[in-house]
Amino acid sequence: MNEILLGCIQCGKCTGGCPVSTRSTLNIRKLIYRSLIKIKDKNKDFGIWECTTCSTCSIRCPKGVNVVDYIIDLRSYEIEGGKVQPQVRDTLESVFKFGNPWGKIREKRADWIEGNGVNILKPGEKIEFLYFVGCTPCYETRTQEVAKAMVRVLKTASSNFAILGTQETCCGNEIKRMGELGLFEMLMEDNTKLFKEFDIGLLFTTSPHCYNTFKNEYPEIGFEVEHYTTVINRFIKEQRIKPKGNFEKKVVFQDPCFLGKQNDIFEEPREILGNIPGIELVEFERSRERSLCCEGGGGRMWVESESDAERLAATRVKDAADLGVDVIATACPFCLLTLEDAVKTTNLEDKIRVMDIIEILAESVNLETKNKD
Amino acid sequence: MNIAVCIKRVPETAEAAVNIDSSEKRIVEDQLVFDINEADNYALEEALLLKEKTEGDITLFTVGPKEADEVIKMGLAKGATCGVRITPENLDSLDSYTIAKLLAEPIKEENFDLVLTGCISSDAGNSQVGVTLAELLGIPHASLVINMEIEDDSVTVQRELEGGLLGELKIKLPALFTIQTGINEPRYASILGIKRAAQKEIKVVENITVEGMKTEIVRMYYPPAGKMAEILEGGVEEVSGKLCEILKGKGLL
Repeated sequence: MNEILLGCIQCGKCTGGCPVSTRSTLNIRKLIYRSLIKIKDKNKDFGIWECTTCSTCSIRCPKGVNVVDYIIDLRSYEIEGGKVQPQVRDTLESVFKFGNPWGKIREKRADWIEGNGVNILKPGEKIEFLYFVGCTPCYETRTQEVAKAMVRVLKTASSNFAILGTQETCCGNEIKRMGELGLFEMLMEDNTKLFKEFDIGLLFTTSPHCYNTFKNEYPEIGFEVEHYTTVINRFIKEQRIKPKGNFEKKVVFQDPCFLGKQNDIFEEPREILGNIPGIELVEFERSRERSLCCEGGGGRMWVESESDAERLAATRVKDAADLGVDVIATACPFCLLTLEDAVKTTNLEDKIRVMDIIEILAESVNLETKNKD
Repeated sequence: MNIAVCIKRVPETAEAAVNIDSSEKRIVEDQLVFDINEADNYALEEALLLKEKTEGDITLFTVGPKEADEVIKMGLAKGATCGVRITPENLDSLDSYTIAKLLAEPIKEENFDLVLTGCISSDAGNSQVGVTLAELLGIPHASLVINMEIEDDSVTVQRELEGGLLGELKIKLPALFTIQTGINEPRYASILGIKRAAQKEIKVVENITVEGMKTEIVRMYYPPAGKMAEILEGGVEEVSGKLCEILKGKGLL
């Protein structure tokens, strides 16, 4: 574990940039210091479960120390000991048993599909675009709307796409970051084996989290992986998707950490929004690389913070209110849920809507279809 | 202290559609996911906590098919010492009594200070195996245990009673307790832990037939549809008003 940290010069840029350091006991510089000089204090709470694995610390470290890997190591030590918070245990057991962290059975994974349905891939079939929906949009009612919007948009693009239906299983991005490395490896092996049963041209995801792990952590995946924003942006440029209906709203874009900071996709989401007629796109003061994490990553969707201080999502929503926007747009199911919760807790429900980019695009594209009729 | 823990592999049926097969005596298990019976998981955790406090071994016992090794491995990953799986030829037709009889034989052979079981299984729901096993072993028992304190050769246990009451008993060891859920917070068995546990011993007892069934399942069936639910009509305010009236009428508000 110490080897990861040996480059550390204790400059404190990690803690300075850490979004949760302001609202929790997590002080990553101090934690590294204690590890390097081998202070053992097992009973103290260092707030390692507060980390959202947003990776601001690792990205800003001038010595290239992978601080997030150290947090994952610390968590994995707790996981192997077995005595973890009940929510952590239940989430991991759910992924092991049902292939998703939401405690829902596999048979219900494709229940979100509406109307005329979607092509579900069968073993041996060839497909140009595989849409990997992800656990949250498959089971969680608010984000199911995102998956439905995706299908509606894709159907207008006359693209050859399919989904995996109930065969789809958790990608493991959050599981790895919760420190359950054995389970992550199992998911990676199972998913890689499953993908090999088909002839896939390109896989794209709803979530930047699934995208991140497929793209960067599956060594034998064997085909291109993209986030939907890059695919859809290309479709718009190729005029396969034509946003025409006006969306007369002031919109700000929340950069998801796993899309922006960690995978350098900043332009495409903004280009999609820029191509929707009527949108006035504004920026947060802290945007792109400096974007404020929503606290949904690193397993934090299922692990409650110990802190009573204001949630970062609430801070973010208030910033958006100060900008006077009608809509906070994002491109991540976790951002969508945490920000929408924050809109409710800050009593801004009448003023601000939180939407996924694809939902805005679906409205615009569908208006076009309606106009044609 | 040497502890025996009896665990069962059960299907997860909370969300799944449960179908009865053509024999009308069993459910269709193909699509179901299995796990350790919930109450047994608490019994196992109680044994693990005791093992951490005092020295000793934990032996896991299960009656079930080969697949039941999964729950034994999970227990071994958490810290149990060894496991015994009993798979009789007539596994499909066992009742609570014969399951207890199968468990009693190997448990009798060793001198356990304590035998723990869950208080109920989430599939059959009989709550009989634990107490029958105590009878066959000739040791005292307490059911629905929600706290245990060991002092030398006896144990003080708290039991859950009806009407929100608790009962406290002092029982001489060796004894058997059926453990209620909520007594502790079961730990997590990591995948690497389960893989490593494959090196620990699981003794298999098979090629035997147990006799003396006392009960037989005649049939399984779906309950007849009950009275229709009352659907409240109207706008949000009207409906919530009506709901409040109903709840008040029943003394719930």
